[in-house]
Amino acid sequence: MPISPVESRKQPSLALNVGSQPKKSISFTGSVKRNQSKGYAGANQSRMGTSRILTILPETKVEKMNISATKLVSQVFDAHGVDVTPRPLYHPDPHLVSGKPNKLLTSQEGSFVSEFVGSHTLYQNTLNPSVLGLFTRSVFGSSTVSKSSASTTESIAEDLEETSYKREGLTSFTDLRVMRKTTGKILTKEDLEKIVEIILTETETLRLFDLPTVVISVEAEEAAKVIQRNKNYENLCRNRLGNDLYVERMMQTINGAPKNKDVQCDRIIKEDKGIMSTAWDLYDSYNALELSSVPVRYSTVDLSTKASAPSKDQDQRGPGSTTEKNSEASSIMEIENVILAKMHDDQEDHSDAILKSEKFQQDLFFMERVLMENIFQPKLAAYRQLPILKEPEPEELEDFSESEKIEEIEEDFKKEEEEIEINEEQSIIPANLERLWSFSCDLTKGLNVSSLAWNKTNPDLLAVGYGHFGFKEQKKGLACCWSIKNPMWPERIYQSPYGVTAVDFSVGAPNLLAVGYHNGTVAIYNVQSNSSVPVLDSSESPQKHLGPVWQLQWIEQDRGTTGDDKREILVSISADGRISKWVIRKGLYCHDLMRLKRTTFGSNKRGGEKEKKGEALISRQAPGMCFAFHPKDTNIYLAGTEEGHIHKCSCSYNEQYLDTYRGHKLRMRAEWRFGTFTPAHCLLVGDSDGQVAVYELRNIPTALDSGRRDMIDTLLGPSSNQPG
Amino acid sequence: MAEVEETLKRIQNHKGVIGTMVVNAEGIPIRTTLDNSTTVQYAGLLHQLTMKARSTVRDIDPQNDLTFLRIRSKKHEIMVAPDKEYLLIVIQNPCE
Repeated sequence: MPISPVESRKQPSLALNVGSQPKKSISFTGSVKRNQSKGYAGANQSRMGTSRILTILPETKVEKMNISATKLVSQVFDAHGVDVTPRPLYHPDPHLVSGKPNKLLTSQEGSFVSEFVGSHTLYQNTLNPSVLGLFTRSVFGSSTVSKSSASTTESIAEDLEETSYKREGLTSFTDLRVMRKTTGKILTKEDLEKIVEIILTETETLRLFDLPTVVISVEAEEAAKVIQRNKNYENLCRNRLGNDLYVERMMQTINGAPKNKDVQCDRIIKEDKGIMSTAWDLYDSYNALELSSVPVRYSTVDLSTKASAPSKDQDQRGPGSTTEKNSEASSIMEIENVILAKMHDDQEDHSDAILKSEKFQQDLFFMERVLMENIFQPKLAAYRQLPILKEPEPEELEDFSESEKIEEIEEDFKKEEEEIEINEEQSIIPANLERLWSFSCDLTKGLNVSSLAWNKTNPDLLAVGYGHFGFKEQKKGLACCWSIKNPMWPERIYQSPYGVTAVDFSVGAPNLLAVGYHNGTVAIYNVQSNSSVPVLDSSESPQKHLGPVWQLQWIEQDRGTTGDDKREILVSISADGRISKWVIRKGLYCHDLMRLKRTTFGSNKRGGEKEKKGEALISRQAPGMCFAFHPKDTNIYLAGTEEGHIHKCSCSYNEQYLDTYRGHKLRMRAEWRFGTFTPAHCLLVGDSDGQVAVYELRNIPTALDSGRRDMIDTLLGPSSNQPG
Repeated sequence: MAEVEETLKRIQNHKGVIGTMVVNAEGIPIRTTLDNSTTVQYAGLLHQLTMKARSTVRDIDPQNDLTFLRIRSKKHEIMVAPDKEYLLIVIQNPCE
């Protein structure tokens, strides 16, 4: 048992519990130590530079180790003094020691010194780290004890003190352990969301148990030998029974004394995590991987632009929506906001962001439509000729119809199938009209409807122009686009200082709505956008109309001469006696198709002699009221004037009428349709007398039918029946 | 923003509408016309139901997504427009 040479060794001992008072250890170690200074040496591996070895035995370790009372630094000697102490299973790497400041030691010196006193003499490499497991990591760069057990405590103490200063690396693993504990930093949210790469590799194969096989293939090389041996053995067994060569005898073997050895490992921390795997989850994860290649900056840029864009839209919209109710609502909302404002700023900003987001507006829009559908379901269904959903309760709800019984509604429903238009028609069987709903809201109260136009592509969209018919009092006008899906609030609202007198949707570009005003301006709106500013305006055009524009229509014209394809032009007729064609190039360009002249006058003056006021009676021009184009040949059209004449004109000639028909008085509206019952063309004309006249146009128009109505505008719905 | 407020107000004033609520993803009401406890209750329950509905729709076809949810009951109809960040809930009594 050579005492370990004067080299320092790493002491795989423990200084874990800084504050632990090792009184216990002192007490018992004191008794034991003396005997055990004998070298333990053989087992040491770790060596270091200084002079002594010191060990510290925190009592916890002591307890945990559960060794016999002689504990930690126990050394086992058999009868002959042979050192048979079990060797450590773990040998700490001497190179791992780093020069850490020995704060543990310095702070604990007091306590440790006493320990040292007790324990120092003996321990060389005490404590099998194996026994202590991870605990036994504290290392003292200290010197070995070359003293014998007989060294006095004082000298020992001195030595201890010396070495305690010299200790370079108490690289206690306890140090490390302590450090480890503090380095368990709080993971921030970003850390949690960071993508951590975990590389799984295969470790080398650890053989825990090796049971070599006792089976050999018949085809192996040793097979023959093995077979022979097996045969021999069998023979032997067989011969053994009665054979004298073999005698049975009992023996007793010495059973070694069993020894218990306990080991404890670190507590294995387990965590439960559950997840439900769904098809969409997988799909999302795959997509997220693809999308993650897009730089994050883009997304932030997008967010910022998106946030600004909807706010702009909202600012532009809603010029007419500032009623008193709105201000009340906003004040209530503000109170609510104040109550809710007790949350942090983040959340407030967030909720504002939510409210302003485009998706939210869209959702609101849909929600309103859904509500409308709920309220107006019977009416809408009747309109669309779908079955009406009956409510389970016997009481029927919203009714615009006269009766409230269910049977009547069913009756009416059948009759409505015939009468869907707004216009009335004469027929032999007196038809019954049920009013389905009316488009009205606060904005339109008090305004007269001056014109209507259905959108050709979206049959649910109706444009309505509001104006005033008393010409003395001209108030602000309004053009609204209503959708059937929402009879209570228009989809688009375009306000203007002048009354609207004519509206029409374009066929080729169904998002364009042309609006004609009482002051002669023609404006074109794009209904797809939310802005209330017209796309084009004719107010700066030098050739604009000077009188109210009574009718507007989009016509597709063959522009064969100019080499273009069919192009759509806007034709307007106004009270200043001109029929103009507007072409959209870079602005609105006007071109006169025809100047209507009074036929009672003979003169043909034109040029710059136009009065300013449209309805001046002394004008030489006849104020035009309406026109209708031939459905097939867009070169020919009929124009009606205030005098009551209908002129047949052609686009090719802008001076002369082709023909003139008389018969009406004042203020007409005309619609030209190809009759469904007759092969000829029919013209439907209504005038301010309350007469509706249907003309069949051959050479001389004759009135075929007339009836009394009082109406201002005749607009035939898309599925109208023409009386023949 | 005024447009949004106005639309919300119009929705609230529609025939038969009992309540309108906008709650954020955590169930905290942003705008509501009902009392707080009712709102929180609706928000919590509908949030779970919406998630379940959305999960169902997407399980069948992951490229699909839930846009609107209507629950018709004997007394009311509850309409929910869900989104990742909020829930728009309107309760209507269509038989009024």
